[in-house]
Amino acid sequence: MSDKKNIFEKIAEGQIWKSIFRGGGAPKTRRQRMMVVLNSVFLHLHPVRLPKHAVKLKFTWCMGGLSFFIFLILTISGILLMFYYRPTIEYAYTDIMDLTEQVPFGIMREIHRWGAHAMVIAVWLHMFRVFMTGSYKPPREFNWSVGVILLVLTLLLSFTGYLLPWDQLAIWAIAVGSNMAGATPFLGAEGPGSSLLAIGDINFITKASDARFGLIGGRFLGEATLLRFYVLHCIGLPFIIMIFMAVHFWRIRKDGGISTPV
Amino acid sequence: MPEKDKKKTSTISPKTPPPAALNKVEKESNVDRRTFFSWLSLGWVAFVAATGGFFTMMLRFFFPNVLFEPVQTFRAGYPDDYTVGEVDLRWKEKYGVWMVRNDEGIYVLSTVCTHLGCTPNWQPSAKKFKCPCHGSGFRMTGIHFEGPAPRPLERFKISLADDGEIIIDKTQKYQQEKGQWNDPESFLKV
Amino acid sequence: MDAFKSLVNYISNPTILFTAVLVGFPFVFPPTNWFYKVHKKLGIHKLWTKKGLIIMVAITIAFFIFGLGDDNFKKIVLKPDNVPISGLIILLIFFTWLSLSQAYKNDKLIDEGKPVDEHYEAPNDKVLVWPDLVYVELISLILFSAFMLIWSIGLPAPLEEPANPSESPNPAKAPWYFLGLQEMLVYFDPWYAGVVLPTFIIIGLMAIPYIDTDPNGSGYYSYKNRMLSLSIYLFGWLVLWNVLIVIGTFLRGPNWGFFGPFEYWDSHRLEALTNVNLSELFYIKWLNMGLPSNILVREAPGLLIMFLTFAVTPPLLAKTALKSFYERLGSTRYTIFVVLMIFGALLPVKMYLRWFFNLKYIISMPEFFFNF
Repeated sequence: MSDKKNIFEKIAEGQIWKSIFRGGGAPKTRRQRMMVVLNSVFLHLHPVRLPKHAVKLKFTWCMGGLSFFIFLILTISGILLMFYYRPTIEYAYTDIMDLTEQVPFGIMREIHRWGAHAMVIAVWLHMFRVFMTGSYKPPREFNWSVGVILLVLTLLLSFTGYLLPWDQLAIWAIAVGSNMAGATPFLGAEGPGSSLLAIGDINFITKASDARFGLIGGRFLGEATLLRFYVLHCIGLPFIIMIFMAVHFWRIRKDGGISTPV
Repeated sequence: MPEKDKKKTSTISPKTPPPAALNKVEKESNVDRRTFFSWLSLGWVAFVAATGGFFTMMLRFFFPNVLFEPVQTFRAGYPDDYTVGEVDLRWKEKYGVWMVRNDEGIYVLSTVCTHLGCTPNWQPSAKKFKCPCHGSGFRMTGIHFEGPAPRPLERFKISLADDGEIIIDKTQKYQQEKGQWNDPESFLKV
Repeated sequence: MDAFKSLVNYISNPTILFTAVLVGFPFVFPPTNWFYKVHKKLGIHKLWTKKGLIIMVAITIAFFIFGLGDDNFKKIVLKPDNVPISGLIILLIFFTWLSLSQAYKNDKLIDEGKPVDEHYEAPNDKVLVWPDLVYVELISLILFSAFMLIWSIGLPAPLEEPANPSESPNPAKAPWYFLGLQEMLVYFDPWYAGVVLPTFIIIGLMAIPYIDTDPNGSGYYSYKNRMLSLSIYLFGWLVLWNVLIVIGTFLRGPNWGFFGPFEYWDSHRLEALTNVNLSELFYIKWLNMGLPSNILVREAPGLLIMFLTFAVTPPLLAKTALKSFYERLGSTRYTIFVVLMIFGALLPVKMYLRWFFNLKYIISMPEFFFNF
């Protein structure tokens, strides 16, 4: 018997393989196939069984899964970019140039940038699909709201990343965006109502203490702005989005998996 | 079987403890109900205050006490360096101001569009500042007349040093809609 | 050809383009039974058949191929950051079709009293995740990765000149996904278009499941039984968001002026855009007197209009046109819904007031940075 087994079967039944993939061997029986999903930390995001329309692309568009996959692509390519990029006005622009010209396979920046565009589109289309199938209806109301927050965080991630090349496109997009923060009602120096927050002649909301200042770390776009956006883009917002993603995925399962006709 | 289970659980965890048990607890401890609750609310108030203080601290963290930003006061040559009836672009790049001289004197306009902070371009043929971002237009005086800009460009403080050189102080700004352009320091009579 | 190009340039003028979209919309995505009947009678529902898809995609692609022969069009469309938006147009057509074709199919099944396409009988109709779903996912991921690689090799990421704080590029644009908001910035002040409006959009989106409490139509594509909510959502999503993005990307040129797709982006084109406030119109033009010095008196007309819009319209509608709606939703849900709808409707209203009356602000208090 044993001499007829090929090398793959031998590996699959060996101690090492079995210790890594609980159960081991190819999942052939129905029971084994269920156990594969239950025994893997990654696969058990899924339920074991699904309604049949849940595996049809024409129903799901695969956009939710794709959004998550693009997030992973962006995380990996982003970590790689961080090895070369220095967030200072002096180096930022030249480092970006070097990424294309001096680094072998210089398409990592392209993957990151186009991936960011693709993620925004994928998240939009995912929301579109969820609305069209009425999947926000009870019991999934809360998860829809979490999804909206994820959409906003996706846009913010993309927006903070936009500044990092420190080129004309970047700073003017951020100049416009950050000046909007300066127009926040009550909290922006140029927003309605900010002059009401004053005692006598002393204004509490000035150019050096308003919402815009908190965002860009100064009265003008500069070194502090670049650093703030860099930290938000690489650590701050990914940290927050991962928390919401965990809730989102968990609630999909808890709310009964993919939506189905009653 | 299920009935039996039901009985069992109901005896183990009764929904409300019998009144006797409650009284017993109160007797055993020296803290009476009222004192306990006032301590409890004090505890909660302290907790909320501490949390609030912590978040305030985190928020305040983003507003440093010292800023490292370019100098806001500079010398801008002599009044005769500027031609009457023209917008001078020489300090635009470095300090972000336009110098405008008319028949009466010189004033300093900020190059920051009052809409969203883009830098408008001076169009000599049309005699206006035109913002490329959203199309706001300003006359040579800085008054807005087209596009979404909500108010005129800001002017900065201008004065003469003892040696006759112009000194511009960008920390002092004058807004027309507040009537500050009548301030003598917003305008240098020549 | 030139005649066709100038025709396209002419109709892509916002007044015409936006009006056409606005008028056509309820017939393509009917919100009520009456519109639905006309929609069927005119045969617009045939857009959501296979033939309809082929025609829509073919026209779009043909337009792009034809346009690439034109230098001005080519320059805008082939800008690296704009390429995803051309893709987005095709994707939107495809996915709108994909959802609505299934929705109409299910509508028919429901009319015939049959179960919808997604109907399943638990547990017999369940499939195993391994291998049925895992392989679908794996194949999608591989295909998408290949697509990303080709895209990244084929199209270099844009990098413009180093940042220069004293020289705004002309035109200066926000990232493309915010161009809808930037378009709003032309008509509203930053505090509204940049801060309050996005907040309302986010809150409004999050509130959808709490306002639309009709349990019908969950878990399958359908149109007829959720006509109104679908029509409102599609209007916000397709028109107020994506059409504005396309306009902002392709049709906004130097000095944020409007340029047809085949028009040369001339940065010296002169445009007289003298806008006036409602207070100026009211006191100077209509009453032939100067502006009152008291701010509240000066802005009284605008404040009155805003008061009527927000405080009087909702209860008035509750008593008349939206009576059944009010009874179904209850007062809290109804109020939130109507107020959000008014904020949404103010966008096109203000756009038209600007185009036809050069109206700048309904309320203008620059003293307090409060302009609306």
